Amino acid sequence: MTGSRSKSIVIWAFVITALVMLSAPTVVVLGASFTAGNIITFPPEGLSLKWYGAIAQASDLRQAFVRSLIVATICTLIAIPVGTLAGIALSKYRVRFARTIQIYLLLPFTIPLIGSGIGMMLVFGEMGALGKLWPVGIATCVINLPFMIWAVTASASNLSPDLELAAANCGAPPLQRFLYITLPAVLPGIITGSLLMFILALNEFLVSLLLVDARSVTLPVQIYNSIRSIITPDLAAISVVFIACAGVAIALLDRLVGLDIFLKSK
Amino acid sequence: MRHSRAAYPLTWRVMDVLERLAAAVWPSSFQRGLPYLMLLPAVVLVGLLVLGLIQIGDSSLRTLDTSTFMMSENYTLANYQRALSEKFFATVAGRSLVGAVIVTVVTLIFAFPYAYLMVRTPSSALRKFLLVALFLPFFIGQVVRAYGWLIILGNQGMVNEALGLVGVPPMRLLYNYPAVLFGLVQYMLPFAVLMLAPALTAIPAELESAASSLGAGWVRTFRHVVLPLARPGLVGAGLVVVTLSLTDFAIPAILGGGSQDFIANAIYDQFFRTSDQGLGATLSLLLVAVGSILVGVVFMLFGAGTLAMGDERK
Repeated sequence: MTGSRSKSIVIWAFVITALVMLSAPTVVVLGASFTAGNIITFPPEGLSLKWYGAIAQASDLRQAFVRSLIVATICTLIAIPVGTLAGIALSKYRVRFARTIQIYLLLPFTIPLIGSGIGMMLVFGEMGALGKLWPVGIATCVINLPFMIWAVTASASNLSPDLELAAANCGAPPLQRFLYITLPAVLPGIITGSLLMFILALNEFLVSLLLVDARSVTLPVQIYNSIRSIITPDLAAISVVFIACAGVAIALLDRLVGLDIFLKSK
Repeated sequence: MRHSRAAYPLTWRVMDVLERLAAAVWPSSFQRGLPYLMLLPAVVLVGLLVLGLIQIGDSSLRTLDTSTFMMSENYTLANYQRALSEKFFATVAGRSLVGAVIVTVVTLIFAFPYAYLMVRTPSSALRKFLLVALFLPFFIGQVVRAYGWLIILGNQGMVNEALGLVGVPPMRLLYNYPAVLFGLVQYMLPFAVLMLAPALTAIPAELESAASSLGAGWVRTFRHVVLPLARPGLVGAGLVVVTLSLTDFAIPAILGGGSQDFIANAIYDQFFRTSDQGLGATLSLLLVAVGSILVGVVFMLFGAGTLAMGDERK
């Protein structure tokens, strides 16, 4: 069994390095946010919550966070109906040019983010809408829309068409069939998709950077701008907000659909 | 009469009204158009990107008049000539391309054992732990992660402070090429693992047992059984990592400190520093072309993989 042992040693060596790489920034940001000092040092100068007090006082950070929440909400509210309808249409119906439509709907993934961002900046600029929050919400929705459609189609393919036929046979008209049979069946997919959309919009940086102006910065852009000047622990404290949101999203995702679905081969 | 009306609840009546409304708006003779109607909002939304590309194309054909700072009225190909001939852009493009290739190789080397362990481990607790460790940075966002690296690697950062305790003078660990590549590798790891995992799940564990019962050591099993079977996943993950790191903005901007610009940073500078919208648009369009070709090749060869929408019927 020596072969098997050397195999686990090699694999674990890589995995532990990868785990350190993946987790180090999160752990360090968490640790730095509790420091008692005025700059971030190692070893830390004792524990305190004063930087959390500081961010509660800082109105610019608070407003930026509220803006990010608004953007993520707009994005999710648009993505739910649009992605659900498109997902159901793609998985349930025989659509002509289905393959072309799929490739078209994957455009947000195939076009590099900077291209999408610049393009939408020009389009919204032409409309005179730059500096408002709704274009940012729409833009984050567009670039992540395939996630939503994918989540819905994945759960819609579990729905047997016989169920809807049975409902029709019992006299249920089309709208009732949709509301009472189809929609509940794809609900897990809608939940997964909207969680992904919300968290990705909350974190979206590049497209936000291109679409906001000084009065409408979202939190990731605000953090980016502050990083450039000076590194202080209040940024660490506000970053913990993102870590907390990510943690909640993962817990919900695992609870509702199970993270294992990402390991399935198709 | 009254009794029968009471037996017909309010919700049913509401549904009846809605049902009649729906039938009036979309009569059942339109039935065959229904899926297209359902797809319409998504098509319109993604249409924004197409509109954007058209706008970029339009701007790329106009040059900036440096005396008036207006875009020229008539179309010219001057921007493309400048983008392809100026040495600065060649340097940036070369740096991005070489960086993307190095990042991809390193990322795959680390992602493969990670995905392998995650798929093969019998312990569901370990699998969950590995998944959470993967999703947490994925959901935290690039800026916060890059900020974490600034704290660790900065001049007054943890590594330098720790080295200082044992008497090593501070080193410049940031704002150089390796720092950017390192940041990109850690940014790309979750993508690569999530693309590889389904491909590895598809390889039956019995094949490996069979190889080893026939006397192959694990290295040979790995080389001749696992790696060849995982090739579609490896190529898919590799191409996704190449495109994403080639076009990344945040990591070169934050960990490179302005001296290690990638293509996306050069585009941003054209729009927001030099205000030469035409040249910026030209560079964007060239990048979109390269990126789309790369991703297009992936989808043609392997399908959309885990991201395939709807049934794959050809």
